[in-house]
Amino acid sequence: MIVVPCPSCGPRNSSDLRNAGEVVPRPDPDTATLTEWRSYLYLRENPASWVTETWYCRNGCRRYFTIERNTATNEIRESDTT
Amino acid sequence: MSSHRILSRPGELIDRSTRLSFTWNGRPYTGYKGDTIASALAAEGVGVFSRGLKYHRRRGILTADHWDPNLAVQVGDEPNVRAGSRRLVEGMQVTAQNVWPCLRFDIGTATRLVGRFLSAGFYYKTFMRPRFLWNHVYQRVLRKFAPGGQVHWQTKSHDNYDKRYAHPDVLVAGGGPAGIAAALAAAKAGASVMLVEQEPELGGHLRWGGPDDLSVLDGLLEAVQSCSGIEILCDSVVTGRYDHNWVAIMQRSHPVALERLIKARVGSLVVAPGLIERPYVFAGNDTPGVMLSGAVKRLINLWAVSPGHRAVVFSANLEGDAVLADLESAGVEVVAVLDARAGDDVVRVKGKGRVKTILTGDGQTLEADLLVTAVGWTSPTSLLNMAGDRPVYDQVAARYFPQSLPDNVLATGGITGDGSITELVAHGRETGTLAASRAMRIRHDRMSATARSPKPSFDRPAAVSDERVPLRRVPHPECYQSSTHGLVDFSEDISSKDLIQAAAEGFDSIELMKRYTTVTMGPSQGKLETVNAAAVLAEARQTAIVDVGTTVWRPPFAPVSLGALAGQSFEPTRRSAIQNWHEANGATNMLAGQWVRPDHYGNPMAEVANVRNNVGLIDVTPLGKLDLRGPDVSRLLDLVYVNKWQNLEIGRVRYGVMVAEDGVVSDDGVTGRLAEEHYLMTTTSSGAGAVWEMLEDWLQTYRPEWEVHVTPVTGGLTSINVAGPRSRELLKRLVDDVDLSATAFPYFSVRKGSVAGVQDCIIWRIGFTGELSYEIHAHSGYALHIWEALLGAGSDLGVAPFGVEAQRILRLEKGHYIVGQDTDGLSKAPTASLGGLVKLDKLDTIGLPELRAAFQRSDLPVLVGLQTEDPSIVPEEACQIVSSDGNEILGRITSSRMSPTLGRSVCLAQVYSSLAAAGTLLTVKLVDGRRVKATVQEQHAHVDPEGERQRV
Amino acid sequence: MSRHGYRYSAGSLIRHGLTRGEWPRMWSKPERRSTYDVVIVGGGLHGLATAYYLAKNHGMTNVAVVDKGYLGAGGSGRNTAIVRSNYLTPEGVAFYDRSLHLYNNMATDLNLNVMLSKRGHLTLAHTDSALRTMNWRAEVNKLLDIDSSVIGPKEVKRLTPSLDVSPDTRYPILGALYHPPGGIVRHDAVVWGYARAAAYLGVHLLQGTEVLDITCTGGDGPQGKGPGGRVTGIHTSRGDINSPVVVNCTAGWASLISNMAGIPLAITTHPLQAAVTEPCKVFLPTVVVSGSLHVYVSQTDRGELVFGASVDPVGTYRLNGTLEFTEELAGHVLELMPGISKMRLMRQWSGLCDMTPDYSPIMGFTPVEGYFVDVGWGTYGFKAGPVAGETMAETIANGCTAELIAPFSIDRFTDGDLVGEKGAAAVGH
Repeated sequence: MIVVPCPSCGPRNSSDLRNAGEVVPRPDPDTATLTEWRSYLYLRENPASWVTETWYCRNGCRRYFTIERNTATNEIRESDTT
Repeated sequence: MSSHRILSRPGELIDRSTRLSFTWNGRPYTGYKGDTIASALAAEGVGVFSRGLKYHRRRGILTADHWDPNLAVQVGDEPNVRAGSRRLVEGMQVTAQNVWPCLRFDIGTATRLVGRFLSAGFYYKTFMRPRFLWNHVYQRVLRKFAPGGQVHWQTKSHDNYDKRYAHPDVLVAGGGPAGIAAALAAAKAGASVMLVEQEPELGGHLRWGGPDDLSVLDGLLEAVQSCSGIEILCDSVVTGRYDHNWVAIMQRSHPVALERLIKARVGSLVVAPGLIERPYVFAGNDTPGVMLSGAVKRLINLWAVSPGHRAVVFSANLEGDAVLADLESAGVEVVAVLDARAGDDVVRVKGKGRVKTILTGDGQTLEADLLVTAVGWTSPTSLLNMAGDRPVYDQVAARYFPQSLPDNVLATGGITGDGSITELVAHGRETGTLAASRAMRIRHDRMSATARSPKPSFDRPAAVSDERVPLRRVPHPECYQSSTHGLVDFSEDISSKDLIQAAAEGFDSIELMKRYTTVTMGPSQGKLETVNAAAVLAEARQTAIVDVGTTVWRPPFAPVSLGALAGQSFEPTRRSAIQNWHEANGATNMLAGQWVRPDHYGNPMAEVANVRNNVGLIDVTPLGKLDLRGPDVSRLLDLVYVNKWQNLEIGRVRYGVMVAEDGVVSDDGVTGRLAEEHYLMTTTSSGAGAVWEMLEDWLQTYRPEWEVHVTPVTGGLTSINVAGPRSRELLKRLVDDVDLSATAFPYFSVRKGSVAGVQDCIIWRIGFTGELSYEIHAHSGYALHIWEALLGAGSDLGVAPFGVEAQRILRLEKGHYIVGQDTDGLSKAPTASLGGLVKLDKLDTIGLPELRAAFQRSDLPVLVGLQTEDPSIVPEEACQIVSSDGNEILGRITSSRMSPTLGRSVCLAQVYSSLAAAGTLLTVKLVDGRRVKATVQEQHAHVDPEGERQRV
Repeated sequence: MSRHGYRYSAGSLIRHGLTRGEWPRMWSKPERRSTYDVVIVGGGLHGLATAYYLAKNHGMTNVAVVDKGYLGAGGSGRNTAIVRSNYLTPEGVAFYDRSLHLYNNMATDLNLNVMLSKRGHLTLAHTDSALRTMNWRAEVNKLLDIDSSVIGPKEVKRLTPSLDVSPDTRYPILGALYHPPGGIVRHDAVVWGYARAAAYLGVHLLQGTEVLDITCTGGDGPQGKGPGGRVTGIHTSRGDINSPVVVNCTAGWASLISNMAGIPLAITTHPLQAAVTEPCKVFLPTVVVSGSLHVYVSQTDRGELVFGASVDPVGTYRLNGTLEFTEELAGHVLELMPGISKMRLMRQWSGLCDMTPDYSPIMGFTPVEGYFVDVGWGTYGFKAGPVAGETMAETIANGCTAELIAPFSIDRFTDGDLVGEKGAAAVGH
């Protein structure tokens, strides 16, 4: 059970939150080509290192926020994009 | 007094004034309070406790503690109890495991006759032909000989187990001298401390030591018991250390729970498990009467049991030498002392049920019934491994040592080095202080990072570097194996010969060897055998042990019952405010996701007819409900639904469909506009949570500038659908502030009003059943009143409740699809025939590019209404639609029921688009294999396709 | 001597027992060549099976299998060893049925007893919607001649007495999809069987050799990688190897290897955890799966209960395992079999799964010439190992996609034609 630092609730057990995965920028749906759209839908970098990801504070403040987590070690640090 | 119990010992754990009765293989025995099962039996002269897994050789006491591989017994309905550590309880029924028909005469010993053919992995090399023999004979025999105790699976409920959370600054795993000292020092530094000891008493090896050890122990116990900052948990074991110092503790001897799992978020974990003595590998090393020095000390000093009459001691260390004094004081004759440091060796032990003769390295044959070996130690580094450490073998000290640990895990005691009691205590103390200072920093940081937490009342401690004086490493001979082969893994019956053969066959890395031979994979999980296995492999490969490595020790450190891991059974269900009424009035329940709800009240067909002819009530509370407020709600709706929402007037409701970003239909429901900036959205029951979270994601992540407030009101509002031609008449009797007439309150409108005196009910006119119907959303506290008022006011109208089954029939007759049943994980909008609904000219909507792409295609499956040629046949849902002359799959029935309204079966089906034209004759393959014909209908709706009944 | 070198049989066991002679090595330690016709990355079941079928069916023996650890160190040795073919989609059924067929004949084909135990596989339904999905699978299965049917609680109880089928439980057992040919197999033996057979045919098994980069030329991306280019070899911890063909069989690590060729994948890596209890006398005759409860369980011939679950919700390359997995697992198992609470969990472990959005693999050619993938196996890799090896070998040797794997092409993520296995797959063991 890792600890995830929610910006408003503080450090919480990860079971209180939901991981929403790697942050992938969403293309403009009106102008994106299907190839661009499907690469947004499906392709992931999936690195064995630091990744910026979204969490949802499901059992707490209900906030979505991003952090950086090292998928090789589960270390967590604050994300620049917060 | 029995023959093997000796005179009182100063450190004995038994209470000689309390005798306990128990049975062993059906025969009555007695022991003292404080005895383990094994010590009580040994005191009464029992020497054989089990038989080996493969060759069924007799087994006696080896280590006399929790790790003893030979002391697994059945106690009542509990299998695999460790008789070496489990304390005796009055009335215990103890039996031997893995023997048939009994411990003394075991048929399994027959395998010894063929033992020479049963080399490591022998089963991979035979039984390949003929195949039926493997399937029907060999495998059954193998399964018959599976080891272990009996599971009483017939029991209908499991016992009392529980869980607890804890947040100690410092958790000390191991209550020996170093662990106690660490706990004391940490508490003194202001940390909250948990001290966890596997045995029922603190003290570790001091308990079975000499008078000096006992006096040190007394001092430590007095200090620790009077220290208020330390919670002591004995008969408890730290079973795992997980990421971010999440630590599992299995607590036994709890007053309420049989076992309790404590989950602790720990600031600093101090690992102080001491050392485990390892067996020596030689021929006959599993003969009863071959014991480790620790076993002999424990038997004599803790339980006052004589381990034998004539002993030979084989020692490679001071601890082994010290056993002589214990043997002497217990009246055991010492026949010979073999000193491994001087080159002495034990080559072979002979004896059937007990050691008889011992062949030494210099060719002597000694007669004795006890061989004590003291050949060194295994470091139980499990918890350190779990923290990422890869302990390294030290050739000089002949054991593994920790290498590098994260800051929040510290080790102390024997696992880190050797020393006098004073030195161990000093190291423990320094470790405790360091652990506390690191933990206090963590506590400070956590409190500061939590907005609502009180500010820490202490300054953030400065980072302290680790300046502990390491414990020495006393040289120890590498004493693993004699010139003969013997058992390495006692619980798996794996010998050194098996390991050497495996290495020769190519399984020459420790992991491959483990998998091939199953060494270290049995119940003792490597505690005794892992270093010996590495040593044998090193010899086979003619390399150093340090180059062999070890297998990764995995959690748990000690086995944990499923009951403790599960804790109390707690799987809650959701119930509407009217559910008690349903149950009191004949409802048969069904489970729908988290909800319990009425499936029917006895006769679903009659319930359908009553809705079609009179009026029915259904509790639809599980319908997801979201209260949406703010100036930008319509923009949000435009984004999340495929249709347009900008022009929805106040007082109107609209049906909407959601798709995911990949264009697959994900949810649907009705949303109504209650006021300028106030909407109520409904979702499917199963999608309620997901839709809410999705809306939040859009509002927080992608459209933070929009002002919308989302409140889930699924349980807060109870929803009652009043359906049937007489529904208006019924409602009129209870609603006086809303004009219910068709012109004032048309189809797909919403009004707020009072129902049966309950104000602020939301009433909307929709038609899932296809009848004139009103859905009332009322505050749940008043729901039962409304429900009963509706039933009371409409008795002359034939009002009656209906359940989910009737509703499903009604909606199918009407041709309404259900997301997730009539659509699936690939169904895009055209499949659900949403062509008229979807607006592709929006600038943004979820899944827009996929929606546009989907409507360019003509090959997507299509949902159609379908009727079988024979009206009495109801094809089961999921029946496949196939080619008329073959097995090619062309579609499937997604919903089907007998329609009481039409007196015939009705279906919805997904079919290839080329087969979707009305009038197409299809072949349906029934579950029983019959093929029947069915015709595609003009519409999805089988009843009232024009919708006249619902618009009245 | 046979096709596999030294021949195993009851006779050979007796001979060795009598003479106490040494058994020969199962596979040799080869000298690495500088050039191979095919380099397979990943020495697990898929890589070894691909190598074996390349050699056996297509005569391609200048093949190397490289692995950063030891053979079968990844998912091949960490799975719960269940085999079955009762999938939901016709393409899935056809594929896995072929795999089951290969498993059936494996012991004789590879001359190693892989201990296939076709004991019957039950997928429990606790809700009417789950029952509907079971019916769907059963009907598709029957049309494709798979022995598969939906049975009621009474029959479930007859087949597996330890299950609590009373209707008043929190997760009542309303029925089950029963698949008699499903069962378990000794997973390590399958790996060793392929390794031994492939090595005998001349394939080089290079253990302890980590791939650091894939070398490409002519591609759109940096260093000639990416679409439009072609593969020239690999750069490893033990030196460079030239090869016109590089096959990615690295499961949980698939993204890392594929990124080296400039081909990002529709994959995220999630741990799948498993656990085993101490042995007890055998009482569980079938393989039992509950999708709603995220658990599957079988009892080995040694008496241990082997448990698996769904993949962890949080993606990571960490193999440490979690406590909450064991808690949920135990809770759910006891919902099904409340009487086994006193059994003890002895060991837990994790493997890494390469999860795709549609729970189906990605196989065959890629936009980089000579770079092949056999990835995206998620939680199904073990069942598919033999047929994946056979079809990948066919695809590589013939230069055109084997028919059975056409639905699993990498192109489907650009064409938008995903496979429909997801509905049945949340926990489909």
